[in-house]
Amino acid sequence: MSRTAFLVLVTFCFALAAPLAAAAYFRWVRAARPAVGVFGTGDVFVMMGFVVVLPFAYLALPGWGLPTVLGLVFAGGLSVGYERVVTHRWLRRGLILGLLGADLAAWAAWRAGAAPLWFTAVNSVVVLLIAVSAANLSAQGGLRLRHAAWFTLGLAVYDLTFATAIPITQKLAAAIQGYPFAPSAGLRVGDLGAVIGMGDLLAYALFGVTAYKAYGRTGLRVALVVVAAFGALAPALSPLVIEAVSGHRPSLIPAQVFFGPGAFLGYLLLRRLGPERRMAEILGNPVNRPADRRARWLGPPAPAVAPAASVAPARPAEVRGPVRLS
Amino acid sequence: MFTTAVRQMRVAFSTVLGRPFSVPVVQGLVRDALATLEEFGTPGDDVGQLVDGPYADPTMRRELQTRALQRTARHLTTGAPYYRDRFAAAGVDPAGLTPETLLRLPVMTRAELVSRQRDLLCGRPYLSTRSTGSTGAPVEVWLSRQEITLWPALIALSLVLRGELTPDDHVQLSISSRATAAIQEDVELCGLVGAGCSVVGLVPPDEALDRLCESATVLNTYPSYLGLLVTAARRRGLGPDDFALHTVNAGGEVLSAALVAAAEATFGARINDAYGATEVLPVGGRFCTHRHLHPDPNMGYAETIDLETGAPAEPGRLGTLVVTPYHPYRECMPVLRYDTRDLVRAPAADEPPCELAATPGMSHILGKARDLLTTASGPVTPRDVVEVMDALPGVRWPVRFAAEEAGGRVRVTVPDDHTGGLSTGEIAGRFADHGIDAQVVVVPMGQEDARRLRPLRCDLLEQTFTRPVPTLVREFV
Repeated sequence: MSRTAFLVLVTFCFALAAPLAAAAYFRWVRAARPAVGVFGTGDVFVMMGFVVVLPFAYLALPGWGLPTVLGLVFAGGLSVGYERVVTHRWLRRGLILGLLGADLAAWAAWRAGAAPLWFTAVNSVVVLLIAVSAANLSAQGGLRLRHAAWFTLGLAVYDLTFATAIPITQKLAAAIQGYPFAPSAGLRVGDLGAVIGMGDLLAYALFGVTAYKAYGRTGLRVALVVVAAFGALAPALSPLVIEAVSGHRPSLIPAQVFFGPGAFLGYLLLRRLGPERRMAEILGNPVNRPADRRARWLGPPAPAVAPAASVAPARPAEVRGPVRLS
Repeated sequence: MFTTAVRQMRVAFSTVLGRPFSVPVVQGLVRDALATLEEFGTPGDDVGQLVDGPYADPTMRRELQTRALQRTARHLTTGAPYYRDRFAAAGVDPAGLTPETLLRLPVMTRAELVSRQRDLLCGRPYLSTRSTGSTGAPVEVWLSRQEITLWPALIALSLVLRGELTPDDHVQLSISSRATAAIQEDVELCGLVGAGCSVVGLVPPDEALDRLCESATVLNTYPSYLGLLVTAARRRGLGPDDFALHTVNAGGEVLSAALVAAAEATFGARINDAYGATEVLPVGGRFCTHRHLHPDPNMGYAETIDLETGAPAEPGRLGTLVVTPYHPYRECMPVLRYDTRDLVRAPAADEPPCELAATPGMSHILGKARDLLTTASGPVTPRDVVEVMDALPGVRWPVRFAAEEAGGRVRVTVPDDHTGGLSTGEIAGRFADHGIDAQVVVVPMGQEDARRLRPLRCDLLEQTFTRPVPTLVREFV
């Protein structure tokens, strides 16, 4: 199998696995949420802030510090993300420890001379699980497709900047090489290798799950096409094109440069279907939209010929409590 | 989500440590709560903890109350020499104030509040609010800008999280224009929530009914005015289908069970008894399904003080409600151990637990202490009398009467057109059914005289150009 075919196949599988698994999680698992709070525009900026700052923080850590921090982050992320999947606390902790232990053991075996396949496979499962749960915590916390689309567009700018103007991405990729708990998924079989970053997987999962939340199966289908075209095929095939044009085959392709604009176009396409579904509709709770509110407040629109008696507005079903009196 | 968490943490710090609240932060939380409802339809599962506050936790309450009292005492003694002298005279160290040593301080009376107004100021006044003066001398309370912006934000947050007010609502305020703080609060909180608000005032009831029929979903009013509205609605043949109301909040006077039932049947809305008093703002209270009053423990310290001994009332005994609003909720013209003279009964030892049992409770408000009647068979509270009179078949609300003690019995004077067509014997029988030995006297009298028998807040009717007011006033009083 050629390197390119392997790269395309592996990237394609992981890129599509992320949104599909995220949609399945969304469908079957209800993530915990706080009493008050919705993922919104402010949170997208906070997330972008983390995306920008964290690589620098990681690179500032000593050699053993980065895997230690990543191991703790993975443990925390899995613990929060799968609280509702494995409800028994000690069983969940045991499974997480077992999974991270397997990651560490596979890495140690690889360092001792075993084939890298097992380490890359186990690590990929861990990373995929984290991407799926993180995307769901955001989507089920109220993040909308609109936010996800803008976020991926921001990631595109980030990826382009930090892969070209400020080559931090290459440094980070080099820093995590050879350590356990690498924030990337992929497979290494013999001389063939393909790696996809955890941030990329998170972006695909986020876009897929928010599209599914917003527009159901239609949304997911569009998201899968976008992920396959702009998240898997374009980044995997672009080295060929670059090589053909420049004679130099790049070792690292900033995938979000392709995916960000593609996802945003996908969002613009889906937006034509109507307003995004909210969690209330999915949970079967009462839904309030500003447009309904305005209509209800002022009563029904006036008929062409005004009737003699006024029309009583609809009576809300909820019963509520006191407002302060002196 | 991140910004909400930061805001929640800042509010929690202010609540527990007594640091001044940032009004924009609380207002931001209101927006967060509205966004949560818009996205999810309901708040998250842990909303109870957020709404009830840390004082609802019995294990933490004692510690938090002590700290809040000490904080309040520090604010009072540094802000007003009057309070410094008060602590010194009682030999109480403000820094070491506890719920026990608080009892050594004398209660503050209404007369003191009226006469020592300037001496009580601890902050910069911005807005004054007056009680309706139903006792003959209105109390004026000065509020700071911080108070008048913070309270609506805190109340709005609570109402939104409890699902009691939504942007779909349209609140009609049929309360006296002199209740400045209440009106300001309600208008402000409606603005924060995005609900509509109509300040209608105490206009002739038919005019208020017309407004109710248009779009109001929540009505805030006094029980006596609610009585006027029920009577007017029944006369006009209006029923639940004619209103969009889902909640009526009635407070400031005794609200009888009979009037609640009649109003529910007429308006098809839930009738809430609301407790709040101008003097002890912003401390309010909620009523549980057992009709206990549960003052908000987060905003102030409530005591039930025995009417005779001045000590905390024993279980089941009558007492007066004494309230100390905490700093920083109350800062401009704070009160310390203010005796509201609202009659309550300390909860009996074997009181069955209610849904608000986590917060200390007491009986329903039983009326004003000055109206308590001591009879041979025991004390008779104003509520005891109102419950019987309001439940007479065929009466028009609000019912006018006068009750006094005469020869160890209750003597009830009733205008002849407020008997519901019953004879004196039949009315006395109704009292007897409630364990009250009453002598009923029916007196023919005009409406003005009947009004003077039992002045009510609905008597503060405002004149308008909309209807021929004198006719309506005559008809309904």
